[in-house]
Amino acid sequence: MVPLQLSHFQALLLFALIISLAFGTLGRRKPIERLKYAAWSFAMFLAVGIALGWLMYPFSR
Amino acid sequence: MIEESIANNSPNPGDPGIATETVQPRETHLKHSDASDAPAIAIAITGWILPGCGHAILRMWGRAITIFLSVGFLVYLGAGMRGNLFVPGGDDAFARLGYAADLGTGSFYYLARSLETDGPDVSHADGDYGTRFLATAGVLNLLAALHAYEAARRRKA
Repeated sequence: MVPLQLSHFQALLLFALIISLAFGTLGRRKPIERLKYAAWSFAMFLAVGIALGWLMYPFSR
Repeated sequence: MIEESIANNSPNPGDPGIATETVQPRETHLKHSDASDAPAIAIAITGWILPGCGHAILRMWGRAITIFLSVGFLVYLGAGMRGNLFVPGGDDAFARLGYAADLGTGSFYYLARSLETDGPDVSHADGDYGTRFLATAGVLNLLAALHAYEAARRRKA
């Protein structure tokens, strides 16, 4: 198998997308509610991930 | 409903205040039998072994497909990024916990092992992320199996 080389942000995007879809599907019944929950979860993954990245930035070097 | 009668042991049995005392029927709590749990447990185990299969048995097709693809894609990415796939008999608690999480993917654990022909490489960030992807796939599948169990018991849909 060819090794995948993803940037940090690409990995974050893929992770957030997959998990958000699963959370939305498992957590809600109606399609529109699933979509809303998945979108909210995806946005929160990204926001928290980027915020934590910036918080750690001063200690990275 | 259980109807009860009480003996009138009062020294004044003719007292209408005592004779007409009514007893509220007790609520009966039907104990959930172990027999009805067996199919739900079987569905949960099936869902664990093959991601999404538990929901497929319950004819929850959307959830079944989503779980199958999500867990499968996470395993594929984790193995492709050369994440560490833990093996049994780890030295410390983290290795044992990691193995438990990886084993949560069920049959996909062996798929990941077959995909990861070059072995893990956690000297780079990709490999470290891959380890997390694999563990997350396992935990997500366990969550889905638990959801299928609850749905089979009609406590969640």
